Amino acid sequence: MEPSQSSSSVNSGQSSSSAKSADYVYFDRTTAGFSDDAVPRAKAAQLKLEHYYKVAVESAIERNTRRVELERKLAADPTMSDERKQRQLQQLGKRESAFLRLRRTKLGLDDFRTIKVIGKGAFGEVRVVQKSDTGKIYAMKTLKKEEMLKKDQLAHVRAERDVLAESNSPWVVQLYYSFQDPTYLYLVMEFLPGGDLMTMLIKYDTFSEDVTRFYIAECVLAIEAVHKLGFIHRDIKPDNILIDKEGHIKLSDFGLSTGFHKQHDSTYYQRLLDSANGVTSPTSAARNSVMVNAIHLTMSNKDQIATWKANRRKLAYSTVGTPDYIAPEIFLQKGYGNECDWWSLGAIMFECLVGYPPFCSESTHDTYQKIIRWPDYLLFPDDVHLSREAEDLIRRLITSQDRRLNVEQIKHHPFFYGVSWSAIRQIEAPFIPRLRSMTDTSYFPTDELEHVPEEPTGGDASGANKDLAFLGYTFKRFTISSQAF
Amino acid sequence: EAQDGAPQKPLYLCSPFVDAALVKGNFKTIVMQPKYTDIMEWVAVNVFDFYQNLNLFYGVLAECCTQHSCPSMSAGATLNYTWINQDRKSVQLPAPTYIDYVMTWVQNLLDDDNTFPTKSGKDFAPTFPSTVKHVYRQLLRVFAHLYHAHYPQILHLRSEPHFNSLFAHFLAFGKEYELLEVKDIKGQPGQLVAIGALWERWKEVGILEA
Ligand SMILES: Nc1ncnc2c1ncn2[C@@H]1O[C@H](COP(=O)(O)OP(=O)(O)OP(=O)(O)O)[C@@H](O)[C@H]1O
Repeated sequence: MEPSQSSSSVNSGQSSSSAKSADYVYFDRTTAGFSDDAVPRAKAAQLKLEHYYKVAVESAIERNTRRVELERKLAADPTMSDERKQRQLQQLGKRESAFLRLRRTKLGLDDFRTIKVIGKGAFGEVRVVQKSDTGKIYAMKTLKKEEMLKKDQLAHVRAERDVLAESNSPWVVQLYYSFQDPTYLYLVMEFLPGGDLMTMLIKYDTFSEDVTRFYIAECVLAIEAVHKLGFIHRDIKPDNILIDKEGHIKLSDFGLSTGFHKQHDSTYYQRLLDSANGVTSPTSAARNSVMVNAIHLTMSNKDQIATWKANRRKLAYSTVGTPDYIAPEIFLQKGYGNECDWWSLGAIMFECLVGYPPFCSESTHDTYQKIIRWPDYLLFPDDVHLSREAEDLIRRLITSQDRRLNVEQIKHHPFFYGVSWSAIRQIEAPFIPRLRSMTDTSYFPTDELEHVPEEPTGGDASGANKDLAFLGYTFKRFTISSQAF
Repeated sequence: EAQDGAPQKPLYLCSPFVDAALVKGNFKTIVMQPKYTDIMEWVAVNVFDFYQNLNLFYGVLAECCTQHSCPSMSAGATLNYTWINQDRKSVQLPAPTYIDYVMTWVQNLLDDDNTFPTKSGKDFAPTFPSTVKHVYRQLLRVFAHLYHAHYPQILHLRSEPHFNSLFAHFLAFGKEYELLEVKDIKGQPGQLVAIGALWERWKEVGILEA
């Protein structure tokens, strides 16, 4: 069964057949007697119903596929006892039932208990929370609607949220629920207790080439997975590379990161570039004063790096974000493809080995400048030894778009010699978080976040504004969400 | 307006409207209980959806359903539904009041975790099947009134393929899970439910299974 395409063409007069039945009636349709918003509301109701039936049919098919696949798998397994097979089928039924229940479930802030604030993003905070009825642990990200409206981000969030929910890649942080109240959007994701790569780099300063090889190789696969989902991340940076309890990486909610959105805001970059290029407003040029080129007492390289490090986390918390890892073509607005993510990876690899990203500067303006003029500024310090392969790979990533390596070339680069691409997620990670409990937050800078309130300020904890939990019903998303119970 | 003095056939039984449908094919695809799932969950989520979807269309038609236009909850020339009030007395209510009572009552049930549980691990009460039967019956009355009293407005808003499919789905679902009482759709002698003829017609043309 399928929703018919021609639903709106049922209008009487246009019927193609000439043989009209005896009870054929011509009806003059008019919206004259209705209030102004009746017609748009009727249209909205129609669209919603169309969507409802489309999803209903898809879900029926997908449910069926899941069952048939499991039945086939079980039938093909001669070693398993009938009783166990039966139990597996019952378990599938339980998951499907729980999934049906979820569609009726309204979620609100009061369904979750905050355990600890663990992170801060541009539009809100990230908390470790426990779902009250199941006791399960999640990371909950709050996004302040007002801030996002100001920056015109809400439409993006919807689209991105769908994509996030659709991925069941082990390389992407999984989304379980989302809901909203008048103040915030809430995204409830899996909690990755190992912290992020930024925190790790602050702690260790640099990594050995072996450790770097591990993280960068995992990043290659993660970025490849994002690209396969049809996405360009555009904002890959150490803060977005999260570490799971086994020490393997996952990319965090890419579509939602501020950097991503700002790249859509071309005027933002234009303004930055203009100020960086010394384009001054006409009023200041007309002023009766002499223009001087201010002389900056440039800091030594070491001081600069120290300042950068000291400010690193502050930058992560600010709405401006850090431009350190962004490819030049993005803010030159020349048009770009997913190769921009490989540039970012080059910058991260540089930082892993050298201790700071290649274009770090005192100010974001200077960073922009350096990135645009990267051939002059990509310098490998003398006091850090890099293998030939490592330096070569970095130079083939931090380079112009047309010369940058693609994913296959990257995987075959000598730096990755010996990496087992298909098994890397199964091998032991170099740092395995030592966790005392499911809710251990020792890998997060929680002391820096002490001023952040337990509950999102102004969020509705009363339960009065509960929203139907968003969750798709597709096959892929099902496998994700089945773990949520 | 009826010619020859014969009662005019209601619009929803006339071509092309009677066959207008958003959804084509056998409703079994989306009505059948998915294997291995809990039947309560399946019925619950579907009743939930029927309520939401009906509410969506009633929300649009409500401005045409007033005390004035519909002083009683009618579903046929000689049929007016009565509401059982707190004193267990059956009372005549204007259709908008009646429908408001139904929708509020159902919404409260849907929001009540004891009736429609959503918390993990919470089971359905043993009374759930009978509650659902009540809900179904009242929602059927809302459909019946809208067909009987507001079909021209549905046509003006070009919603008949949608509304027909929603109702056909509702009927197919009710039949499958024994929520539908044939007398509720056909009425008693002298108290004919107008949509009874629609049900027959849809069975004839195969929109519904006989
Ligand atoms: N699922 C998660 N599990 C554990 N920690 C997380 C999770 N999601 C985010 N965090 C922590 O919270 C921090 C901020 O989150 P995130 O980067 O998603 O915010 P943001 O608003 O997207 O900010 P930005 O755009 O600067 O990346 C992360 O750096 C990480 O330390």
